[in-house]
Amino acid sequence: MTAFALEVENLSKVYGDRGGILGRRKEPQRALDGLSFRVARGTIFGLLGPNGAGKTTTLKILTTLRRPSSGSAKIEGFDVVSQSLEVRKRISLVLQETAVELFLSVRDNLLTYARFHGVDSREAAKRADEVMTLFELRPESERKVQDLSGGFKRRVQVAKAFLIQTPVLFLDEFSTGMDPILKRSVMDALRKEAARGRTIVLTTQILNEAEELCEDILILNKGREIARGNLNTLKLLSQTAYEIVMTFETLPQGIQEEIAKLNPLHVSIEGNTVEFGLKTGEIQALDAAATLARKGRVLRVEIGGASLEDVFVELTQKTPPAV
Amino acid sequence: MSAISAMLYREAKIRATNVIFVFWDFFYPLCYLLVFGVGVSAALGTPASIPGVDYNSFFLAGVLGMASFGIASNSSWSFFMDRDNGIFYEMLTYPMSRTDYLLGKVAFNLLIALAQGMITLALGAWLLRIPLRFDLFPILFAAIVVGTSGWFFFYTIFALRIRRNDVFNSVTSALYFVFLLASSMFYPLDPLPKVFRIVGMANPITWQVDLMRYGTIGFGDPHTLLLEAAAFTAFTLICFAIAVRSLNEE
Repeated sequence: MTAFALEVENLSKVYGDRGGILGRRKEPQRALDGLSFRVARGTIFGLLGPNGAGKTTTLKILTTLRRPSSGSAKIEGFDVVSQSLEVRKRISLVLQETAVELFLSVRDNLLTYARFHGVDSREAAKRADEVMTLFELRPESERKVQDLSGGFKRRVQVAKAFLIQTPVLFLDEFSTGMDPILKRSVMDALRKEAARGRTIVLTTQILNEAEELCEDILILNKGREIARGNLNTLKLLSQTAYEIVMTFETLPQGIQEEIAKLNPLHVSIEGNTVEFGLKTGEIQALDAAATLARKGRVLRVEIGGASLEDVFVELTQKTPPAV
Repeated sequence: MSAISAMLYREAKIRATNVIFVFWDFFYPLCYLLVFGVGVSAALGTPASIPGVDYNSFFLAGVLGMASFGIASNSSWSFFMDRDNGIFYEMLTYPMSRTDYLLGKVAFNLLIALAQGMITLALGAWLLRIPLRFDLFPILFAAIVVGTSGWFFFYTIFALRIRRNDVFNSVTSALYFVFLLASSMFYPLDPLPKVFRIVGMANPITWQVDLMRYGTIGFGDPHTLLLEAAAFTAFTLICFAIAVRSLNEE
């Protein structure tokens, strides 16, 4: 048995839209271009990228909704094309678009979903109560979903994924429409699921979420991998490894020359505040701040690492165009 | 099997929330039998080309065919509802094959069609005194089961390949008109002009209704019926294969 929950090998997808029953074919569009990666079991894996990067296409192939044009993908060792039913037995998916049974009650939505996944009715009723508590859906349990707000519909949709225990859970922009408090509790629940060995694959454009949740991140652009690793590894890919901001009581003589000796990536001075970026290690960044602090009385010091957003913007803006 | 029963459960739950569907599935064909059929029977009496069979008895099979066709058409429209709810694509990731998906949907249609058929037969016998041939009921029920399945798979192909609800509605309305009127549902084909007769004989609704007519009142030529049964079974299997393929291409 493989140690990987996901194994993707040279995956490509070219869309040639058929445009309806009599529609003409449109120009082919390459959505994925030789993508390869593996994800270890029990990992929270983030698939990031700007609009049109290929995240949703990747997710659709991995969840058997689309066939790849070439290459292969396996979930828990099962091929998504030739063993699609085995794959479907091992996954659950929260789509980006709301996907609920509008005419059924909240409870019936959950029970119907559980029935499709082979959970017996007594167990399903118990689990439905648990997830309704987690998602604060109990007061709405008997209401038809069509009568609920968009945020509550989203809760019902995400709650379904917690009702069953498939080894791999795919979440496409899961927090859309969720309030910050619920989002926190869902993120905690996702961490617990991963700690129990469940592999969680999430796509998001909200980089704070990925920063907080993901242990392993792949950044896609134009259908290709442009970076891969954990948060720290990715931050080192940024030109701006540390951003230092210091405010002095009065700007010391020769401070610009001192900063220049550190080979900064950029420098700006405004009033008594200097701001500069260093591509260096943590200790060196602290040393640099300490050296400058000896030149004059310091009122404020801030040292921050590059955020995932910095890395994301920097990397996605310098990707070469797809061939 | 559990996937099929889960789908059947889901379809039943949803259909039960919409009384308009119940009207269309159960009572619309009955209105035809009890209003249109009785009216034509009173006005025109026994059709000249089928001596000894009154119009109510002749039309009973037409009503059963209409119900089967209508139930299949209504159910195929549910693909659009599922798309609108966003649940369609999520369901395609559930642990079931595309074949199970379609069989689960058709299983619910069959229950509705059989229940509707029983009501129609009971009212036909009780109110219109139609002399039913109970010994031929196995043929009738087979025609309901295979017929409803065939029409559901036929409409499924259109529902999956046409992305727009309004286009689908136009297509189904046109098909409803052509299939029902150019068939032996409302009148015998023999007295019709040759062109209409040929079109009617090539229409799968005619095949199904002729079998139902034999299954209700024992009217029909066994050799022709055998051919029609084989043709309708082939039609159903071909539509099923294309529907599964269409679902795989989603």
